[in-house]
Amino acid sequence: MLPLSSCCRHATRSLLAISDSNAICTGLPALRTQVRNYAKARPGVAKPSSHGFSKVQKKGKGGELEGTDQVAATKRKRYTAFLPMPVAQLTHPLFETDQRNGQLQLQNFHPEILTDAVTSQALAFPQNDKDPFRIFGLPRNLLVEYRILSKPCSVIRDVTIDVINKLDAASLEGSANHRLVVAGSPGCGKSVLLLQALQYSYMRDWIVLYFPRAINLVNSTTSYTYDPRTLTYTQPVFAYQTLERLLTVNGPRLEHLRTQASVEVERRGTVPAGTTLVDLVKVGTKEQALAPTVLAAVLSELGEQTTFPVLLAIDDFQAIYCKTKYRDPHYSRIQPYHLSMPRLLLEYASGLRRFARGAVVGALSSTDTTFKLPLELAEALGLPPTSSGPYAKRVPELQDYAKGLSRVSVPDALTVSEATELFDVWARDRAIPAVPNDELFLAKYSESGGNARDFIWKGLLSTLTL
Amino acid sequence: MVHVLGVALPDLQLARLALTNFYGIGHKTAQRLCARLQIHDRCKIRDLTAQQITELASFLASPSTVSPLRRMPLASPTFQPPPASTPIEMLRKRVAELSKPTGAEPLRNLKIEAEGRRVVRENIAHQRMIGSYVGKRHAMGLPVRGQNTQSNAKTAKKLNRVNRFG
Repeated sequence: MLPLSSCCRHATRSLLAISDSNAICTGLPALRTQVRNYAKARPGVAKPSSHGFSKVQKKGKGGELEGTDQVAATKRKRYTAFLPMPVAQLTHPLFETDQRNGQLQLQNFHPEILTDAVTSQALAFPQNDKDPFRIFGLPRNLLVEYRILSKPCSVIRDVTIDVINKLDAASLEGSANHRLVVAGSPGCGKSVLLLQALQYSYMRDWIVLYFPRAINLVNSTTSYTYDPRTLTYTQPVFAYQTLERLLTVNGPRLEHLRTQASVEVERRGTVPAGTTLVDLVKVGTKEQALAPTVLAAVLSELGEQTTFPVLLAIDDFQAIYCKTKYRDPHYSRIQPYHLSMPRLLLEYASGLRRFARGAVVGALSSTDTTFKLPLELAEALGLPPTSSGPYAKRVPELQDYAKGLSRVSVPDALTVSEATELFDVWARDRAIPAVPNDELFLAKYSESGGNARDFIWKGLLSTLTL
Repeated sequence: MVHVLGVALPDLQLARLALTNFYGIGHKTAQRLCARLQIHDRCKIRDLTAQQITELASFLASPSTVSPLRRMPLASPTFQPPPASTPIEMLRKRVAELSKPTGAEPLRNLKIEAEGRRVVRENIAHQRMIGSYVGKRHAMGLPVRGQNTQSNAKTAKKLNRVNRFG
């Protein structure tokens, strides 16, 4: 049996590593690997928890119990230093962390059941080896949230059904007319909506490519080199990682697809027409320097085929429209369309490149203040700009890249039924420190104004009421 | 642990911070150097390729004799790249034709290590030679810039001399 402190250390390490690990996990979330032995509750001793006065009285043998109480009291008084109780003595259900999964019984998220009847219900996301969340990663705040909950789940809202209907329409038409941007106030549920769309498309046999933190493309955290052929700065390591993840999640579907034209690759000759897309991807994963060319080729092949619709999902969508933190040799900041990865995403987002069947969905984020919503994107989406005035400059290239994007507005506040369901999920998971009653719910709902993030994090989890 | 021009750069340190271990390179110069050599902000010394380390060493050995930096052409949104089978010499030639010359480069005048120390030594020697107040104060080993001497002149008394840095 592992001591408690080392269990916590292992839990935090896996918390940080999940989105970076390319290796397929064992199929069990890290928190489930604790197996603990519990001591049996000893009879005849009044527990320090809330059993109360009545139980002591019920024992009946007043004199003896008083005696033992007195003895216990005197024993406690004799201790001069604090001695922590052994872990096995923690018999309260609150400490039984390895048995939490039985508590939360939720229906599984399945495309067949997603209709208006299911709105305001929480559905659990499925967990398996090649799940898009596990392989592509998650936005940081959602990663933390899904680690705290015993199962990753989300509440289905009206806007979820809207987006799903749009994705159904997009599966028949191309991505040229289906470029959606999810917008709303901070903490209203944009990233979760994107995850629901991602999970829906994956289960509907789409090919999915998800960028959970598009900020990592532009914040100077990955290598870059000037390429004299494309006249841009390529990002070989990020392209290589994207190819690996695409292959892991969509491998079986890519096996069915073959290249329509031959693909030229630097220094390795030509990949002939008719090779499977899996083999084409492997050409890029064998040598990192070839990854950007191969990624572009794979995406253009996916754009031409009509067997599977393709979803390109980007969180932190506004980051690819901001000036990057990368610097050129003259120390001026590089524009996003001069870097290979953001340029690729911008081309699909603007309709310059398209998928014959599929959609591009982006979600804005206001978490990182170094990459705020830029003026060009705000004007294209009809949102109030963060910086404006008669002298505010607009980059014409970015204005062109932002044309034709359609906005999906997420309501600022959860409805009462949605908030009730969310409250129920956290209460059944025993995550709320207070007693989960109507009073607490209404108090926190009003304090947060219905905002989902504030309701959970600043309301329920931070409450000091008992 | 990489050794560049006699200075050890720890493997686990960020490159743009490790470069400040050179005498004459501070944070701003280090960032400019990293931009010049296309080293990203979160790159550690152990992530640098052998080619990048060689470029760094050759640049720092004599920054003033490096070939002038040219502004490379960058793709417009509608640019279609030539096929991947195009020979690299042809691409480089085309880029060289399209590139434009730049003006002043701050890194050209970079003086590090021995050269940097020599500059300081020469400046102090010049002040002494012309018989200025600054030179006299260096010779006496007292504060130069008008600080108090009634108390608190410890650093000046320890370090100030005409032949500073040996």
